[in-house]
Amino acid sequence: MSARWFKLLGMAAFTVALLYPLVGLGAHVGRWSWDGGVPGSTAGAVRVSIILTAIAMVIVIAAGTPVAWYLARSAGRDRVIWDAAVLISVLMPPLALGLLLSLAYGPASGLGGLLLRVGVPTSNSATAFVATQVYASVGYYIVAARAAIASVPHELEQTAALLGVAPVAVFRRVTFPLARLGLAAAVSIAWVRALGEFGAVIVTAYYPAGMPVQIWVNLQTAGMPAVMPLLIIFLLTALPLPWLIHLLVQSRDA
Amino acid sequence: MLDARIVKTRAGFTVDVRIQIGAGERLAIFGASGAGKSTILGCIAGLENPDAGEIRLGETKLFPPPLSLHRRPLAYLTQKNLLFPHLSVADNVGFGLANGAVAENSRWLAELRERLGLEAIWNNRAAKISGGESRRVALARMLARRPPLVLLDEPFVALDRPLIRDLIAALDEWQRRLGFILVAVDHRAEILTRLCPQVAAIERGRIIQQGDWNSLATAPATPGLARLLEIQ
Repeated sequence: MSARWFKLLGMAAFTVALLYPLVGLGAHVGRWSWDGGVPGSTAGAVRVSIILTAIAMVIVIAAGTPVAWYLARSAGRDRVIWDAAVLISVLMPPLALGLLLSLAYGPASGLGGLLLRVGVPTSNSATAFVATQVYASVGYYIVAARAAIASVPHELEQTAALLGVAPVAVFRRVTFPLARLGLAAAVSIAWVRALGEFGAVIVTAYYPAGMPVQIWVNLQTAGMPAVMPLLIIFLLTALPLPWLIHLLVQSRDA
Repeated sequence: MLDARIVKTRAGFTVDVRIQIGAGERLAIFGASGAGKSTILGCIAGLENPDAGEIRLGETKLFPPPLSLHRRPLAYLTQKNLLFPHLSVADNVGFGLANGAVAENSRWLAELRERLGLEAIWNNRAAKISGGESRRVALARMLARRPPLVLLDEPFVALDRPLIRDLIAALDEWQRRLGFILVAVDHRAEILTRLCPQVAAIERGRIIQQGDWNSLATAPATPGLARLLEIQ
């Protein structure tokens, strides 16, 4: 067998093993149950996940993009320090993040109590859900967005500035168009990370239940038949966007 | 008038110069590679900050404190073309003009387009044009705003002689007409002599001789300068 065939066979075997869990979608688990015994729970979970994750993404992009730009353009010890802070958020185990958020922002904490007094509940609320998603995904967004922005030569931004264009317009007219695919990939990574967040969200925002929490609840209360419909919707909302963006980036670089 | 006093430490030596150029005048900064020529232009342009000194262009103080790049009334043509690859040639040339200014400057842009031979590639993407074409586009983009100060850093590197001749003729004509201050640096005297009658020779960050090219050729201040002029 030639070396080429050996490599192809190896890749094929690995890919089959990697994608094998998808076979589970065809498993016989009994008659599928749409809501797991609680009318409206599946539709509600889908709605909560999509709307609140979209809000979280707006915050992640608004807060993360300037940070990513700064990290991409800074150098030396300065960058190392800020990088380390961002990495802590990326490396934080989800359950630990949820517990820490609960302790730091929960009603028993000073800040949480203050927020509760001004009408912002920080536990089991949409606010808690969005905040947890932001914490869980912003680091991933920044790391990916920084790489995308760093791929745009800084000299082009300086050239644009020397042509009399203000910094925000330089980003809009030069940096963003040249980094847009990488930034889209960063958003898609953050989207998947936030949408799929379970370990942290289940601690801070059991209600309103998003898809991961609802899947877990359905599994506990009604078994696999109640999980399957939501699982398919979950995969459809999580996978296609990042997958297509990845293919687009790869085809551009090919 | 450009009045620049620049002190900037480089690896192995310190650039320490005072440059004064009157309105509408031209000055060549001539020296070997690594003498500190690009550092001087970089400090005036604002791409790097001097360790000490002061830079003024007319009433505008460029340093200190460092004036933001986008507020500096100057144009800088670096050794690289640095065109915006996602834009057309037309959009590159008009990049520094505000929306309304493109229409206001349509005659001037048409002149740049015609004089620099950009008609055939005007709507092409900048990423798709050749090196020589890119240089002409970069020159047009730099001049589109009609800046009062133009900085050229080895402006004709890697271009063929006929193109260099054309570009020098165009620059010469526009400098006379628009009256901008022109500062050009290069290590090739043959380029600079055709562009600037006055020259400041620089060695290891210091101006060692200043005057016209004849005075440099007849009595070079240092053996190093004499050698550099002989090579040309």
